[in-house]
This record gives sequence, structure tokens and C-alpha cells, in this order.
Amino acid sequence: MKLYFKALGLHLKAELEYRMSFIFSFFSQVLVFFSYYFVILAMFTRFDNIKGFTMYEVLLCFSIIQFGFAFNEVFARGIDKFDDLIIQGNFDRLLLRPKNILLQVLCSNSDFIKVSRLIQALIVMIIALINLHIKITLIKFITLVLMLISSIAIFFSIFVLAASYCFITVQGLEVRNVFTDGGKQMAQYPIGVFNKGFLYFFTFIIPYGFVNYYPLLYFIGKKSNILYAFSPLIVLIYLIPCILIFNLGVKKYSSTGS
Amino acid sequence: MRAYLSYFKLKFISGLQYRQAAYAGIATQFFFGFVYIMIYVAFYQTGGKNLPMELPQLITYVWLNQAFFALICQFYKDSELFTLIKTGNISYEFSRPKSIYFLWYFKILGQRLANVFLRFLPLFIVTILLPKPYNFGMPTSPLAFLIFLVSMIIGTLLITALTVFYPIITLVTLNEKGITNILIVIADLFSGIGIPLVFFPKLLLKVSSVLPFQYISDLPFRIYVGNIPVSACIKPMIIQFVWLILLVLIGQLLLRIIIKRVEVQGG
Repeated sequence: MKLYFKALGLHLKAELEYRMSFIFSFFSQVLVFFSYYFVILAMFTRFDNIKGFTMYEVLLCFSIIQFGFAFNEVFARGIDKFDDLIIQGNFDRLLLRPKNILLQVLCSNSDFIKVSRLIQALIVMIIALINLHIKITLIKFITLVLMLISSIAIFFSIFVLAASYCFITVQGLEVRNVFTDGGKQMAQYPIGVFNKGFLYFFTFIIPYGFVNYYPLLYFIGKKSNILYAFSPLIVLIYLIPCILIFNLGVKKYSSTGS
Repeated sequence: MRAYLSYFKLKFISGLQYRQAAYAGIATQFFFGFVYIMIYVAFYQTGGKNLPMELPQLITYVWLNQAFFALICQFYKDSELFTLIKTGNISYEFSRPKSIYFLWYFKILGQRLANVFLRFLPLFIVTILLPKPYNFGMPTSPLAFLIFLVSMIIGTLLITALTVFYPIITLVTLNEKGITNILIVIADLFSGIGIPLVFFPKLLLKVSSVLPFQYISDLPFRIYVGNIPVSACIKPMIIQFVWLILLVLIGQLLLRIIIKRVEVQGG
């Protein structure tokens, strides 16, 4: 773990070397993020609610999914850019070192500019929470924390799955973007507003629903069953087979040479 | 002119090679289209007040956005052009007896058209056949379709003229991110890619009316879906054309000023 933080520190230092560029990029990321929730705000000037969900409920949903994605881009960029490692043959170097492979992959890259999104996601979340006037009990607090953790976990598992796929094809899986960027786009809204087919796919195949829909229902008081509160745990279980598949890929890996 | 056209052809043909990327692009565009449409359908089912667009119009607008996405989005990935600038090899381009502005212009045009050429047909064919309310609608009249085509062509030339500004700025900043990224976000927002401009709050609509970005795709698309009647589209189309001329002139002027004081990086 110490190793990982050391690597993070190095990446941060490297990025700060180009100070102007860092500041501009940071500012542009603030704008990018703003344009995301601007769309939601604009729609809610014309509509009171979307299938019973108010603006602040949607914003809460939105902030949780954006938090998880931004977190991965800052702290797990290496796994996102895994195809570069494979294509350039740099992955072989990692195999030679006596440390955990996945940890080393995480050390290999980082995107600190996305910290701006992380901060903004938290700000939007706090604004939404204040305006929702929900009495936060202990269970609800745990639910919120679980939602944030599972949001990190779901993107991480998809990235790991896509990385495992690189072992077979030796190239990036572009369709992956459908499930990460597309999933992020979709899960900004409570998944219940979508069609049944969509809802089932993103509940049982890729469990976005357990990140910020089912627990959200409990959180905002639409459902009182305690199972809803702890449903994000399913996403954490989902992580296990993804990592197992990755490790299997490492075992079968044959180098591309360079 | 022939030199420029061959640049265009070169980029167009080599752009057509990237079919794998195009398939992934089509899948992404489909997915995003469905997500947007389902959200709009949910909103419209709930009901709202003084809506600026009917639902079928809005859905057709979304599919147009998705089908032409590679053409109309600001983001333009051509590492070749930016590498030229960063490595200093751009000096070879300076020594050519042709206008660099138009060399870049036609390169970008070729690349963008190739990208969209691979993507838009499958999207249209499938979305026309989709069941209601998800289907891609027909134009309101043959005349509207014709005007849409003209406006779309001007819009394509306009987005190209805007894209040339990114390498021009990079000549000064030597970094294709930073300022360029800020411009890209603003331009994307005001060109109606995230949400049609008619849904904007009043204040922002006023801001957008003095910017060129709504004339890239928002205008032609709204003509297609019938949100702007045929009788009312002469004036915005004249403005669209004026913006095109203006941006090309400003771009050339800016490039000329910058080239005079450019310092080539390394050699």
C-alpha cells in the first residue's frame, strides 16, 4: 500500500511540473462536469419530476455515480489504460517484480486533474442532501457510504474485466465505453425510469441498479425493506469473479514482444 | 485547388480504414441514443409545462445528433497534426507554397467526413425501423429536407472552420489540452449536443444567439424535425453562412499573425 501512495505522489509531482497546463485542464474539467449536471438542471426547469423522482433525488443519484467514476480515474487510471501496457510490452516488466500485479498496474498511471470532478460530485451530493430534508438515521448513513463504495467498485470491476479481455485480443476493448461511459450516463438517473429490459440488464448482468437505484429507494423513503439498504453489498461480491478472471488472464499471458 | 483536394482525399480514404473503431462508435451512439430517448420519454410521460418541442421531434433530433456525432462534436483527434506542431516538424508545412490554413482545413474536413461516413448509415437504417416512440422520423416535407441538406452542408463547413482553430491555438500554447479543452466544452454545450438548445433557460439562449455554435447542427436538425418552419429558416441560414465566412477569415488572419512570430521547437 505504501508503494501505491508513493507512485501516486510521483504522478502528482509529474503533473504539477506543467503548472499552467494543470490549472487550465483542472478548470476545463470543472466545466465538463458542470455541463453534465446542467443538462439535468435544464430539464427540471420544464418538468417537476421524472416518474416521481424530484430534481434533488436525481442529483443525488447522479453525484453518487459520478463520484465512483471520478475516483477510478484518479486512483485506478492504470487499469483503465491497461491496453497501453500490453501493447507496448511494458506489462512484462511488472511481471518481473515481486509485488502484486494488480497493485503495480494501479501504480502505473493516474489522472489527478479528475480530482476536480471528485470534489464537484461531493458538492452536488451535499447540495442534494441538504435540499432533500431526509432525516438521516444510522442505517441511512451506512446506506449512503455503501452506495459510494459500490459506485467505486462497479467501475473498477468493469475496468478489470475489460483489462482481462486485453490478454486475449492484445488491444483495447472499445465497446467497453458503452458499459463505463454509457453506464455512467444512464445511471445518472434512477434506473427505474428506463424500460424493463434495461432495468433487468443493469440489475443482473452489470449491477448498476444496486449502486444507486435500489439503495436510493430506501434512502429517500420510497421503500422501507431493510434489504434495499444493504443491496450495494452485491456489487462488492461482483468484484470477486472480476479479479479472479484477471488473475487467470495473467497466468495465460504471453508477451507481445517489443 | 487540386492540392487541397488531394489532401482531402488522402485523409478521407485513410479515415475509412478505421472500421473497428467505427463499429464501437456505432454501438456507443446507439446506446447513448436509447438512454437519452428513454429519459425524454419518461419526462414527457410525467408531463411538463410549455414544452418547446414535441416528443417525436425530440427523438428524431436525438438520433440525428447520434448519427452525425463524429461530424459535429468539437473533439477532434488527429495526433498527426498535433505531433507535427509539438515536434517542430511543422516547419516543413510552412515551406510549402500553399496556404497552411486550407491544407489544414481540407485535412480536417476529410477526416471528419470519413468518420461520419462509416457511422451514420447503419444508425439511420436501424432507427427508422424501430417501433414507436423510439423511431427516427421522416422530414416534414421534401422542401424541408432539401433546406436541411443545404444547412447541413454549411454546418459541416462551419464545424471544420471551428476545428482549425484548435491546431492554430496549439501553435501558441504547444499543448493541445488546456485552453483548447475549455473551448471544446463551451462549444459542445452551446451546439446542442447534450440537450437541444430550445430547452436552455432564457438567459443562456440569449448568450447562445450571439455565438456561432448553434449553427453547426442545432439549426439544420431543427429544420429537419420541423421545429423551425420552412418559412422562417431564411434568416438563420443567412446568419449561419455569415458565420462561416467570418470564421474562415478570422482563422486565416490569426494563423498569419501567429506564424510570423512562431518559434519552431527543436529541429
